[in-house]
Amino acid sequence: MDVPGQSHTWGIPGPTFLSIFLVIAALLLAGTLVHRAVSFSGRRPENPGRLHPLQVAWLNGGDHLAIYAALGALRVAGALGSQADHRLVQTGPLPAWATRLDWAVYQAAGQGRRSRELIGDPGVRSALTELRAELERAGLALPPTARTAARVGPILLLVLLGVGVLRLVAGIANHKPVGFLLLTLACLAAASIVLLVRVPRGTRAARTALRTLRDQQPHLSPEYLPAYATYGPAATALGIALFGGAVLYALDPVFAAEAEIRRTVASGAHTSTAGSSSGGSGGGDPGDSCGGGCGGGGCGGGGCGG
Amino acid sequence: MRRMTEATGTTYGVGIGWRPEIAGFVAALPGLRFAEVIAESLAPGNPLPPALAALRERQVAVVPHGTRLSLGGAEPVDPARVRHLAQVTELLGAPLASEHIAFVRAGGMEAGHLLPLPRTREAVDAMVANVNRVQAELAVPLALEPIAAIFDWPDDELDEAQFITEILDRTGALLLLDVANVYANARNRGTDPVALLDRLPLERIGYVHVAGGATRDGIYHDTHTDPVPDAVLDLVTELCARHRPPAVLLERDGHYPPAAALRGELDAIAEASGFPLIT
Amino acid sequence: MSGSLADRQAALVATLVAGAPLPPGFDDRLVGVARSALLRKRAREVARHWPLLAAGLGDRWLSVFAGWAAARPTRGALRDGWDLARQLAAEGDLPALAAEELAAREAGWRYDGTTAPRRRRLPAVRRAGGSWVLQVAGRIWTLPPHRR
Repeated sequence: MDVPGQSHTWGIPGPTFLSIFLVIAALLLAGTLVHRAVSFSGRRPENPGRLHPLQVAWLNGGDHLAIYAALGALRVAGALGSQADHRLVQTGPLPAWATRLDWAVYQAAGQGRRSRELIGDPGVRSALTELRAELERAGLALPPTARTAARVGPILLLVLLGVGVLRLVAGIANHKPVGFLLLTLACLAAASIVLLVRVPRGTRAARTALRTLRDQQPHLSPEYLPAYATYGPAATALGIALFGGAVLYALDPVFAAEAEIRRTVASGAHTSTAGSSSGGSGGGDPGDSCGGGCGGGGCGGGGCGG
Repeated sequence: MRRMTEATGTTYGVGIGWRPEIAGFVAALPGLRFAEVIAESLAPGNPLPPALAALRERQVAVVPHGTRLSLGGAEPVDPARVRHLAQVTELLGAPLASEHIAFVRAGGMEAGHLLPLPRTREAVDAMVANVNRVQAELAVPLALEPIAAIFDWPDDELDEAQFITEILDRTGALLLLDVANVYANARNRGTDPVALLDRLPLERIGYVHVAGGATRDGIYHDTHTDPVPDAVLDLVTELCARHRPPAVLLERDGHYPPAAALRGELDAIAEASGFPLIT
Repeated sequence: MSGSLADRQAALVATLVAGAPLPPGFDDRLVGVARSALLRKRAREVARHWPLLAAGLGDRWLSVFAGWAAARPTRGALRDGWDLARQLAAEGDLPALAAEELAAREAGWRYDGTTAPRRRRLPAVRRAGGSWVLQVAGRIWTLPPHRR
């Protein structure tokens, strides 16, 4: 039935087109992955424990989490408070350990800013830029050039995808079988979009460092209901850095609510609500529904006797 | 305790009650050799919480402290709770386990609290029967802790020293002496805490508890959430002058203060007991 | 005073946690002190499991909890807080902060009010005041994240 050279879409037989298409896609994909593997590797810190908590926060949750970590540290130090209208207030002197970001957040609080406005505050912005630049120099944050470069591959893949879609439309109009092409395009679309969207802010070395820190500091996990007053401002900031905005709700629920903290700012595991860890699953007590968070308790309070 | 010090011969020094909230503080105590964990907070089927496992790797002895067995209850102790304590003891590799001379539930209701027993022969019998049931499952000695009572029963037949000694004699259990409880009871009853020390079998002490408290409604409450009063530390000194126990352990259960204050309490206990500093 | 040890212990516990009359011979004042100490301790344990419920009620927390709990024996801190939060919600007296906490729990767990709560396997959505709480695979999201 088919007359060669006439009814082929664009004059190229289907199998030939598909082969060429697949080879180009595979080359682009491989190039992108190799580029990511190389340019995202970063440089491992000798001792992740030496990273500043605000740096850790930025690596885990970007600008927002770095601001939250600063808020938490200043709150534990008694330097910051909140009001019912969501404005921050200074409640004590600026602590001696304050970094530039702490200072900028503290100053913004003095001007009665809301916590969600901090990200737009010029002082906070410039402190964050500096924080990020330090991390880039340390091989932990991806420089903007690397992030842009990482998007070249996926964009080329999308261009290729566009060609494939044109071919698909033409093929359908030509009443040609397009099943394999459709399948290829679907896979390609998924891969390109994932690669385009998922450009991390930290390097692989940074992710490894975050994992190491979480393993080294299990007691800062919200599951332990950490006593932040005992641990102090730096450990509190690190807890927020590693386990997310939900930590602020465990630290000071009223402050966190008034400051409109978002619990989900973090990529730390399973810490999305202040109470998610204290449900009813854990606890070894066979007789009653002690709940996972019952590890402390035991006794004390109003005349324990134990 | 003849059994314990002579069998194990170990002196641990100052310890602290491990609580998840202050796990990082406890982990950072360089001289720590002794800690305690609320037995009911552990699940024997699961591995230890990582922070607790790290203490065990450092060879810190961790003793399970039961709070809900209700050994003084008139009913036989729940076998599931006994098994749980035995499993947790094994999981921790603990040199001993501890519980209270008290009951926490009756008639199907939880008191949520350690309640005093009437100091009667009948209560001694009930307590001894339950302690025997626990000892049958435990591979290590059990230490029993007399509690702080806000009120007494109306028909006591024995005084406190007789009551405690009788239970220890009949069970062969060790004594977990809570100095803060001795202080609280003496203060609330208007008696002399040192006089009680002189009548207790101090050589049978497995270890000692120290905790803080506060006065409220005219009653001294053993809260575990307030600083340790000087009078309690003095009582530690009195005790150690008579007989120094293998370990003296600080219990804190809430309102955790800054690390420096908590270290200060541990240092004060070391000084009062003559043990080396662990901070 | 007479009766078996078991009966007398049950009577004492009922006095302390279920509002039963004081058994004869006990010091009314001291048992009262013990009862309120016990309620304070219970309130603190519930607050550990329900931090936003306690924080939302602020200065009223202790009195609200004590009023609710005085004649109710504990069913564990998790369920005590849950029952109280549901009752306050029904009475329209649940603070916004606590409503969000309750919604997050309701989305994550199945609790029929009579037996121990169980984790939900399927995703669930609950409404709390002005926001929605979504649970998928054990993770909780609050939408919108900002209250206006």
